[in-house]
Amino acid sequence: MRTVLLASLRTHTRRYVAAALAVAIGVAFVVTTGILSSATKDGMVSSVGVPYENADLVVSGLDGDQAAAVVERARERGDHASVLGWSLLPLAEDGRRVSDRVEVGALADGEALRWQELRDGTFPGQAGEAVADVNAAKSLGLEVGDRLQVGTGARAADVTLVGLVDTPSASVAADLYLPWDAVAPIARTLYVDSIAYDVAGPADPQVRPLERFSGATVQAADQFVVDRQAEITKDVDIVAIVLLVFATIALFVAVLVIANTFSILFAQRARDFALLRCVGATRRQVLRSVRIEGLVLGLVAAATGVLAGTGTGHLLVAVARDRFDEGTIGEPSPSAGWYLGGLLLGVVATVAASWFPTRRVVAVGPLEALQPAGAVDPRTPAGVVRLAAGVLVLVAGVAALVLAMADHEVPPMLAGGAATFTGVLLLGPVLVPPLVRLAGLVSGRLLGSPGRLAAANAVRNPRRTAATTASLLVGVTLTTAVLTGMATSRTAVDDEMDQSHPVDLTLTSTGAELPATLLDDVLATDGVRAAAALPGTTARVSGIGEVQLLAADRAAVDDVVHGEPAIVVPGPDQVLVPWDSLGAGQAGGDQVRVTVDGTARTLTLRGGDGWGSAAVVAPETLTALTGGAATGTRSVWVQAEDGADPEDLGGDLDALGAPAGAELANGLGERAWVYLQLDVLTASVVALLGIAVVIALIGIGNTLGLSVLERGREHALLRALGLTRRQLRSLLGAEAVLLSVTATLLGTALGIAYAWVGVRTMVEPAVEAATLQLPVPQLVVVVLVAAVAGLLACVLPARRAARTAPAAGLALE
Amino acid sequence: MLETLHDPSSSPTGGPRLAATARGLTRTYGRGDNAVHALRGVDLDLPAGRFTAVMGASGSGKSTLMHCLAGLDQPTYGTVTVAGTELQSLDDTRLTVFRREHLGFVFQSFNLLPMLTARQNVLLPLELAGRRLDGETRERFDRVVAVLGLADRLDHRPGELSGGQQQRVAIARALVTRPALVFADEPTGNLDSRSSAEVLGFLRRSVRELGQTVVMVTHELEAASYADDVVVISDGRVRAHLVGPTPDAVLAALRGQEIGA
Ligand SMILES: Nc1ncnc2c1ncn2[C@@H]1O[C@H](COP(=O)(O)OP(=O)(O)OP(=O)(O)O)[C@@H](O)[C@H]1O
Ligand SMILES: [Mg+2]
Repeated sequence: MRTVLLASLRTHTRRYVAAALAVAIGVAFVVTTGILSSATKDGMVSSVGVPYENADLVVSGLDGDQAAAVVERARERGDHASVLGWSLLPLAEDGRRVSDRVEVGALADGEALRWQELRDGTFPGQAGEAVADVNAAKSLGLEVGDRLQVGTGARAADVTLVGLVDTPSASVAADLYLPWDAVAPIARTLYVDSIAYDVAGPADPQVRPLERFSGATVQAADQFVVDRQAEITKDVDIVAIVLLVFATIALFVAVLVIANTFSILFAQRARDFALLRCVGATRRQVLRSVRIEGLVLGLVAAATGVLAGTGTGHLLVAVARDRFDEGTIGEPSPSAGWYLGGLLLGVVATVAASWFPTRRVVAVGPLEALQPAGAVDPRTPAGVVRLAAGVLVLVAGVAALVLAMADHEVPPMLAGGAATFTGVLLLGPVLVPPLVRLAGLVSGRLLGSPGRLAAANAVRNPRRTAATTASLLVGVTLTTAVLTGMATSRTAVDDEMDQSHPVDLTLTSTGAELPATLLDDVLATDGVRAAAALPGTTARVSGIGEVQLLAADRAAVDDVVHGEPAIVVPGPDQVLVPWDSLGAGQAGGDQVRVTVDGTARTLTLRGGDGWGSAAVVAPETLTALTGGAATGTRSVWVQAEDGADPEDLGGDLDALGAPAGAELANGLGERAWVYLQLDVLTASVVALLGIAVVIALIGIGNTLGLSVLERGREHALLRALGLTRRQLRSLLGAEAVLLSVTATLLGTALGIAYAWVGVRTMVEPAVEAATLQLPVPQLVVVVLVAAVAGLLACVLPARRAARTAPAAGLALE
Repeated sequence: MLETLHDPSSSPTGGPRLAATARGLTRTYGRGDNAVHALRGVDLDLPAGRFTAVMGASGSGKSTLMHCLAGLDQPTYGTVTVAGTELQSLDDTRLTVFRREHLGFVFQSFNLLPMLTARQNVLLPLELAGRRLDGETRERFDRVVAVLGLADRLDHRPGELSGGQQQRVAIARALVTRPALVFADEPTGNLDSRSSAEVLGFLRRSVRELGQTVVMVTHELEAASYADDVVVISDGRVRAHLVGPTPDAVLAALRGQEIGA
């Protein structure tokens, strides 16, 4: 049997290439995940300790004000404290906005706690100097010697860039570092990760007092680093597990592809098997031979996958190390388990996929070799057992989904989703062919007889048709569900954005009246849909200090506010103040005194967000405070046109406002940033699912290629009867497109249904009246991509079929 | 030079040694109104060391008879005994092993595995049986290959051989295990008259020179003329078993059946 095995491996290698590719991609996915996660772990874990190297203690879990207090205390005692954190601030170079959000961090006072490594220039020697991270400087276009403005308005700081540093710790790195004294005024806006604290003397006795003083967690530096490392390892592991879920989906699709390949190949080789049985091969010998064939295929494919994955992983690591800060990505050193696991997974997937097809091989009796060629029908009827099981699983799954929606429970939703999908796959042989036939009506219209023939060919073997479409169905269903789910949850995010960023952009005075022409200039700017000028004055608010006090008239701001205007229009005895300018201990509902030129009023404090740093009152309150004196424009509020670029618009408005001393608040940028995160998330998920879709398309090409081999005589006959080469190619193209489009349409329908169930189950409890949002353009793109990819998948087989001369085809046995 | 086989079915009483016998062989396809009676109670004794042709009209049951005799098909009723073994008593694996050890086949077409070379195809039954190519089998292989004139084509694949050469490879494969019985179902059906003559000549030589027993299904008189004996069958029954007949006798038997049927 060995000769037979070796010979069939040699002969059929080419027919196995696609199946092997499918497995290899899945395995490579797993191995790449292992390499990336190990490199990330290595980089992040080994770099965690860098900022704490010379620290005795670490204070964590505190805000900017508390951090400032800790630094003060350290200075008084002769200790050293380095605040590790950052504030997101706009950055301008010579009046030109470079970026809306740069991470600005603090530099430690003493050498000892300064963990950044100097690459160019010097560390700041005096106030007004700063250093930038090398990579950030590269992407922002900064050079040593540049004059920069950090922040806007009253709290803007002018600094000169005197050096570039490497920041070898991913967890607390920033783009730009200022000395602590320059950061202290904006300490409130800092996100503080931790404080490295160096005690001048024995450290242990300082733990309790520091704890009591700061009200935060104080740990020995070593302990903190160990804890943080464990945390990072866990986080990376979670990401790796999420990636493995996608790898599993890809491998599942690969299993469908291989199972289908084996079924087709074995059906084609039925006569070979029968002949073997005639000349004396026992059932077991034939079975063993084909199973070893599957095993060899699995081994070769999995080994290829491991090699490809290793290559891809190292390549990605090299690219990432080049682009990210040192301390993010380290040396890839995955445990042998990743390689072995990938190998094993590939082999097991292949062998499992070959199991049922090989079982059918032994059903071939020796007599079949004696039937004339073509009498062995590769047609396999859909088994009754399979259909019954399909209906059963489908019904149970739907019941679980209904239950999930009623109770808003996720586990029954997942179980129901898996069950209904399995049901659909099992029912494929009766479900898919009618759909293909339906689609075939269209292709028949468009292409004439080749179109009709294509439809007939596509459904010739219902089980094969179903298996071929199933693999694509998986990817398309998941992609559609993700896209639709994301589009729907985006409406929930929309509502929240309207709450937190009611106004797109504001230009607010920092002390003087704004020129009367500003409103017209703003309105004339590209990308501005509406703008409103708000009158105001300078006022003092108890516990907060001097602020710009604006009067928001409901009618005037209605045009520029997203959502409900009441968010930014306070009642007559209220004053609206940004959350982050509330004084220590202040909270919404407090009574505060608002004073304008000696006239004072007691108003109820209300916190809010999204219009810059000014305070807002009702028009009548302002009139009462100013005694009816005329008030000039103190702020211009802007609503942008849909699709306006936040950075460009912000830059243009900043250029208009800066000469008048106006400070820009860019809520549009914040909004865009949040949406960007959502888009990145969606795109990543779709890209990861894309791997499964690619495998499925390889599968479609493969099925078609194998069918072409099988139908060599038929095609030759058709050609002899007058089918042109072009018609033959369009015949095969139409078949591929019919299969992929049918799978895509079915998958889209299923995906939308699953998204609906998901929204009813998960989003509805959180957001009232969540309605399903169909991302129609994206879904259309999915269908088109599938159709085009289907066409591409048939290019090779169609070329081979069309190349064969009719006579050669007829001579085929 | 004549090589005889040790035949386990040779009777101690010295009667003609029988390679195969069939008793009451019946094969019915389908049931009820659709039932097709391919064989209706066939009794047949095939003597060893002879070349027997089975003849009859198309659809008369020749192939079915051969399949039942060779254990490729299960008769509805009746028994088949080959080389002393009753086939109906064997399960699938035993039957396969029996086929491998005692029977050889040559079919009308699709005889060879396309991915194997001629040599590998010929040696396939030995390999399946796990037999090593020892001195005796090598000698047999060389002999068969020499008799069939295949020595210089052994490393070609079936696709590179002519139809006649392919059939010769199939015959070599059928003979290499020294089977008790070689079955050939229309082995010349796809060949021109020269190749036919060649193939039939080899089958006859294998009986004369290698001492084989060959049963050949054919509907060509020309082909049957190479055989020692002719079995005529029609409508699922054996109508005549002619020993060493003249062509005219065979023709008469066939005609008789056509008129009689
Ligand atoms: N699998 C089957 N199912 C139903 N009927 C069958 C089957 N195989 C053969 N038959 C029928 O049995 C009868 C005998 O067939 P068989 O193949 O033995 O004929 P034959 O003598 O070999 O004919 P030919 O010379 O054309 O090869 C025919 O009527 C045929 O239709
Ligand atoms: Mg026949």
